[in-house]
Amino acid sequence: MSSTEVPFKISVSDDQLDLLRKKLDLVTFPDELENAGWRYGAPLSDIKRLVARWKDGYEWRAEEAKLNEELPQFTRDIEVKGHGTLNIHYVHKKSEVENAIPLLFVHGWPGSFIEVRKILPLLVQASPNGKFPSFHVVAFSLPGYGFSEAPRKPGFAIEQHAEVGHKLMLALGYNEYVTQGGDWGSAITRKIALKYGGKYSKAWHTNMASGVRPTFTSHPISYLQYLVRPFTAEDKAGYERTMWFQQEGRGYFMEQSTQPQTLGYSLADSPVGLLAWIYEKLVNWTDGYPWTDDEVLTWISIYQFSRAGPAANTRIYFEYMHSKDAAPGALAAGMPTIPMGVSRFPKELAVLPKSWMSHTYNNIVFVGEHASGGHFAAHEKPELLVGDLRKMFGKKGPVYGVVTGKTGYVRSKRGAERAKL
Amino acid sequence: MSGVEIPFKISIPDVELELLRKKLDLVTFPDELQDAEWRYGVPLSDMKRLVARWKDGFDWRAVEKKLNNELPQFTRDIEVAGHGKLTIHYVHKKSTLETAIPLLFVHGWPGSFIEVEKILPSLVETSEDGSFPSFHVVTFSLPGYGFSEGARKPGFAAKQYAEVGNKLMLSLGYNEYVTQGGDLGRAITYKMAQVYGGKHVKAWHTNMPSSLGIPAPTLTSHPILYLQSLFKPLTPAEKAGIERSKWFDTEGKAYFWEQATQPQTLGYSMSDSPTGLLAWIYEKLVNWSDAYPWTDDEVLTWVSMYYFSQAGPAASARIYYEMWHELGTGFAGAVKNPPRIPMGASYFPKELNVSPRSWVRTVGNLVFESVHSSGGHFAAHEKPDELVEDLRNMFGRGKGKPGPAYGVVSGRNGFQPA
Repeated sequence: MSSTEVPFKISVSDDQLDLLRKKLDLVTFPDELENAGWRYGAPLSDIKRLVARWKDGYEWRAEEAKLNEELPQFTRDIEVKGHGTLNIHYVHKKSEVENAIPLLFVHGWPGSFIEVRKILPLLVQASPNGKFPSFHVVAFSLPGYGFSEAPRKPGFAIEQHAEVGHKLMLALGYNEYVTQGGDWGSAITRKIALKYGGKYSKAWHTNMASGVRPTFTSHPISYLQYLVRPFTAEDKAGYERTMWFQQEGRGYFMEQSTQPQTLGYSLADSPVGLLAWIYEKLVNWTDGYPWTDDEVLTWISIYQFSRAGPAANTRIYFEYMHSKDAAPGALAAGMPTIPMGVSRFPKELAVLPKSWMSHTYNNIVFVGEHASGGHFAAHEKPELLVGDLRKMFGKKGPVYGVVTGKTGYVRSKRGAERAKL
Repeated sequence: MSGVEIPFKISIPDVELELLRKKLDLVTFPDELQDAEWRYGVPLSDMKRLVARWKDGFDWRAVEKKLNNELPQFTRDIEVAGHGKLTIHYVHKKSTLETAIPLLFVHGWPGSFIEVEKILPSLVETSEDGSFPSFHVVTFSLPGYGFSEGARKPGFAAKQYAEVGNKLMLSLGYNEYVTQGGDLGRAITYKMAQVYGGKHVKAWHTNMPSSLGIPAPTLTSHPILYLQSLFKPLTPAEKAGIERSKWFDTEGKAYFWEQATQPQTLGYSMSDSPTGLLAWIYEKLVNWSDAYPWTDDEVLTWVSMYYFSQAGPAASARIYYEMWHELGTGFAGAVKNPPRIPMGASYFPKELNVSPRSWVRTVGNLVFESVHSSGGHFAAHEKPDELVEDLRNMFGRGKGKPGPAYGVVSGRNGFQPA
């Protein structure tokens, strides 16, 4: 079903760089209200500064080279039911620990495969003295993102993205694996857990699991508990954050899930428009993360230079919202059964009381709680995220040895006994 | 309070036209899904055709000339409390009949002052036999639109737009006047009716009576209306209206949410990419009208009003932010303090929100209603004759039977004095 693996190096054409330069040279900026700050969107001074850097100073070729050096990349064809063959781009790095745990990392929007950059070395790292488990890591570009082909037909929703991720792991010889995902990666790995869980996917971890509010009819006990129990300070802060996102932060979601093509003309034609559209999220969705201008420009460049162009990535929102997965009650109706781990960060976009997760998630065996960090956990808090994965999958963890024959540790007699292999 | 009137002619500098051409020459189009049509947004083939026309064929100078010929335009400075002076661009055409009714037409988004183009001649027309009233017509570019300056500070919301409209009419010598508005014009004329109603605004007419949605009458809010509505089954038109409203809420309202929460972010695209701006607006022109046969040049003219606007295309989105944050439900026209002055409503089936007619009674002092079997959001552009006829019936005195708002403006009933 999947053809051969072809080594890949990012190599954006000179024509594309040239066109970008030409467009930046013609840039027209809007005005701005006095003292607007961040209230109305990305501030003019930020965008002007970023564009100036983009025109002069930012070295895409150097960034390209760094990415190619850090991330071993490949492509291969993957067949998706009803959608033909898509050429999928991915990172694959094996640990030197032979029995490392195969882990599929799934990114979201406006992220990309490069979100695996900081956690990759830590995940594949072999622990001296077997202190923590190691992982073989796979991170693919979602269809329509990075250097993967985009779907050609309508209807490529979460189920199809999940199919790609799953088939990729099988193609790489990982019959059993675990997953880590945030943003769309959370929905996709949830689908993987649901469809392929047990036989193939053995456990899943997400940094974005908010659950839903209990109502008297949906979850009477939870509902009643919250009538009498006061909310904690964390609950309240999380509620405010959640309300901010609901009221001020979801315009992009609405547009992308209803009229993505209309938006696509702007994103495809204006690098500055694309920059602003994404940069606003990079800042608003993180917890005081000190983005450098070059970091921002690299994230945007993955969209600007993506194989399918900057419009295709928004369609996942439309497909999801028009699929059964978005119907009311869908989350609660079909819950995965395999063990699940969650890392909670205070500046995620929806931060609801911990106990509400069980309304839409099953078999939560691990919860890591953190005092700082936002939506892009792998990028903002790589050590914390990897720390959680190590705890979850490590020798003392709740799912140690969940992948047959791959405990994540160098095999020793004692180790084999412990894993009951 | 207001400066002197200065005649105005649209005259975009050559350098702007050249920059537009340069940008269009570099246009990068996105891909498109197979058989997407209108489902995901504006189809690629439409966009390619429109951009090709914009580059070669669309004659902006001819459009300029035509508009300058048809619409007598001016600017004057208007002081707005807390915001200083703004230079306001407007059209003012008087009827030959001195006692014509002063009417302020207020446009919305993505419209402009040119929406008055088709109704202007009929409105100022005088009738030989006194069978219909005549109007003096004023329409202005909302601050941040067309050739008016934009607000410089946060907080320029419905009240401020209403202040501009009222001060403009006063400065033109119209102490009493009536208004007509749809889209943002509906929200602004509603505010004008609330604040200046009785003293200055004597009646208001809207083609968007239920705004983007109004609450249903409840037993406690409007007991009689509520009870009436219980016994009146919904008509087929009202049922279709509910479907239309649902479509808008679920599929058509995202522009509103982005503009009401992150207009500056959106503004970078709108300013930098004429193609992006074209798509953003064209989608509404088609989806919001009732199969109106837009010509490419018509579309490009409407979009050019944004592309060449005084304040730039980003400024126009801010009104959404200000109104949304001011009231929370800004556009719904909260039923608290409904204006008391006479209200007229024209119903068009493809408006964005079509509520049952009984609900509209909660909005104001409804004295005139007219139901149409076709037409959408841009009533003055799609159905100019019908809209003018509605205004003539509301304010006229056809065949000895006075319209419900006949003679509301002292000394200016729209007819020859007896």
